[in-house]
Amino acid sequence: MFPWIKRAVVFGFPWPIVVLSVFVGPQDSIAPKEALEWMASMMMGAPAAENADLVRAIVWDIRLPRILLAFCVGGALAASGATLQAVFRNPLVCPYILGLSSGAAFGAAVALAVGFLPVYGSAFLFAMAAVGCSYALGRVGKAVTPVSLVLSGIIVSGIFTALLTIVQFLADPFRLQTIVHWTMGNLHNAEWKRVLDSVPLMGCGGVGMFFLRWRMNVLALGDQEAYAVGVDPEREKITMLIPATLAASAAVAAAGIIGMVGLVVPHMVRMMLGPDNRVGMPACFLFGGAFLVLVDDFSRALTAFELPIGIFTTLVGGPFFIFLLRRFRLGWAV
Amino acid sequence: MTLWGLATLLSLWVLAWIGPAAAGSVEVVDFRGKTVLLKEPARRIVCLIESALSGLYMLGAADRVVGVSSNIYEGSVRPYYEALDPRIRFKSLPAPGNWDFINVESVVALKPDLVILWAHQTEAIQALENRGIAVFGVFVERFADVHREIEAFGVLTGTEERSRELIRAVAQERQWVDEKLQAATALGRPTVYFMWAQGDLETSGENSTVDELIEMAGGVNAFKHMPQEHVTVHWESVLKADPDLIVMWVNAARDPLHILSDVRWRWVKAVKNKRVHELPDVFTSDLWTLKYPVAVLTLARWLHPQAFHGEDLKGRRRAFLERLYNSAAVARVADHVPLD
Repeated sequence: MFPWIKRAVVFGFPWPIVVLSVFVGPQDSIAPKEALEWMASMMMGAPAAENADLVRAIVWDIRLPRILLAFCVGGALAASGATLQAVFRNPLVCPYILGLSSGAAFGAAVALAVGFLPVYGSAFLFAMAAVGCSYALGRVGKAVTPVSLVLSGIIVSGIFTALLTIVQFLADPFRLQTIVHWTMGNLHNAEWKRVLDSVPLMGCGGVGMFFLRWRMNVLALGDQEAYAVGVDPEREKITMLIPATLAASAAVAAAGIIGMVGLVVPHMVRMMLGPDNRVGMPACFLFGGAFLVLVDDFSRALTAFELPIGIFTTLVGGPFFIFLLRRFRLGWAV
Repeated sequence: MTLWGLATLLSLWVLAWIGPAAAGSVEVVDFRGKTVLLKEPARRIVCLIESALSGLYMLGAADRVVGVSSNIYEGSVRPYYEALDPRIRFKSLPAPGNWDFINVESVVALKPDLVILWAHQTEAIQALENRGIAVFGVFVERFADVHREIEAFGVLTGTEERSRELIRAVAQERQWVDEKLQAATALGRPTVYFMWAQGDLETSGENSTVDELIEMAGGVNAFKHMPQEHVTVHWESVLKADPDLIVMWVNAARDPLHILSDVRWRWVKAVKNKRVHELPDVFTSDLWTLKYPVAVLTLARWLHPQAFHGEDLKGRRRAFLERLYNSAAVARVADHVPLD
């Protein structure tokens, strides 16, 4: 396939998904035609239908914030995963593996349990601590090998998961229920306030990663090569970790733990566009966002009740990723 | 000897080996379907479920309780149990676990002859049963289960007569509410959305105590068509259901004012008419003990206020609780809880 066709698919695929999602809902909800008529009445001043209030509430207050939040969370997780993979030159790395998600989950759970700490600040702080610990523990001499990094990440992730369990153990039973449900990952509580609270943070992280994307290509060459072209790789890694952690921790704080997106989407994008981060980074954000919106569409439309979105991302993303792995090459090597 | 003869002989031998329940022994079937057999009514009980503990206090078996859930020492239920038992007031009653986590070693150290746990705590149950300790597994899904539980506890503690008396008290209270609601429900039953504390979309379907609560209070569950006991529904389904009244379970994070000011709820009839209420207290609104008529009465008054015009409902609640617990002290604690 011509490269420009692949680019057109990756960059063009998200927009119709996002727009059409406005018309997707549970079976007992409004019909797509009703949503379309309401939009027409809003934009062209056509006479409003009898149930215009209900349609407005569903489209404007329920569906739009949810779609926007899903898009930004998916984009932030995918871009963060791509950045971490580039920084650590390790295709197995994702926000989950390095303990970022567990750290953010622990931070947010502490904030929810005590009630007076800001959820996003606490999630970011502990996410940074988790990634920092994984990086420091994975360092052997002056080098961080892929295996040692993954191992240290698994250990740090395990420690924060254990700490999360302690928080659950000590928390007031009523707050505990909220924490447990939140850690499962969900988008059904999306509202405009949550969008306004979290999207700027995910956006800042995304913009930071976007501007650093060409430097990721330099890091991909290896530390010695980076030094040779005048780039201090250690400093660059820390500079890149900050926006990646900010975006992923805000995503975790907003929607709980949603697995697979941060690992699977960067690989999918690389399979199609190759390893160049200059193109891959924005593609990851768009494709990750569209991926989560699409999966959420299924979860909204297929069942009469809400299931944690993390279940669907794993059920849909896992087999699809394995299919791609068997069908195509991984696309990691330059 | 024929095959049938051999089988008959073997059956007789097995029956003789099991033998009839010895004199003085007690036997019940728990919610797992397992037979719990005690040589005599339980003398040392570890009860790690708050609602079941309430049942034991109602039966007058407080002196048999040697271990409780640590949740008893926390939160809003503590003053009630302090009023019921001085050992809880002085924190001298051991707490070897809570609703989720159990320290098997600490339970064994209390030398119980009966442990009461949730039926789904299978690992802990097996660990205790392997040590020869009888375990009664509880699972409450309907009010009938609450009655069944108190009857079983009556047998296990040798207080059957008291358990029958308690069930009579509940029946009388339910009948009083039914009679009060007769005229009002003939005119119509409002739709009720029940909101659990975990989130705005957490509710209960048909097979639940919540569904029964709403029915008994003269309403219709907005999600009666869902079979699940606990379910997270779609926002859009809630808006479509458009309930007449929203009732919130005791909630630390949200109260009716939050719902009334939340834009997502603004088009719902209950919010437009400001008919959003929160059950006032975990202990008195308990749906897993014989106290459930208190919650029924509270909800019935919100649904059909005219039916209870002029009634001293606080006094009625006090008298009912006093009758259940045989304690004026616990009823006095409840007096501090508003009716809504």
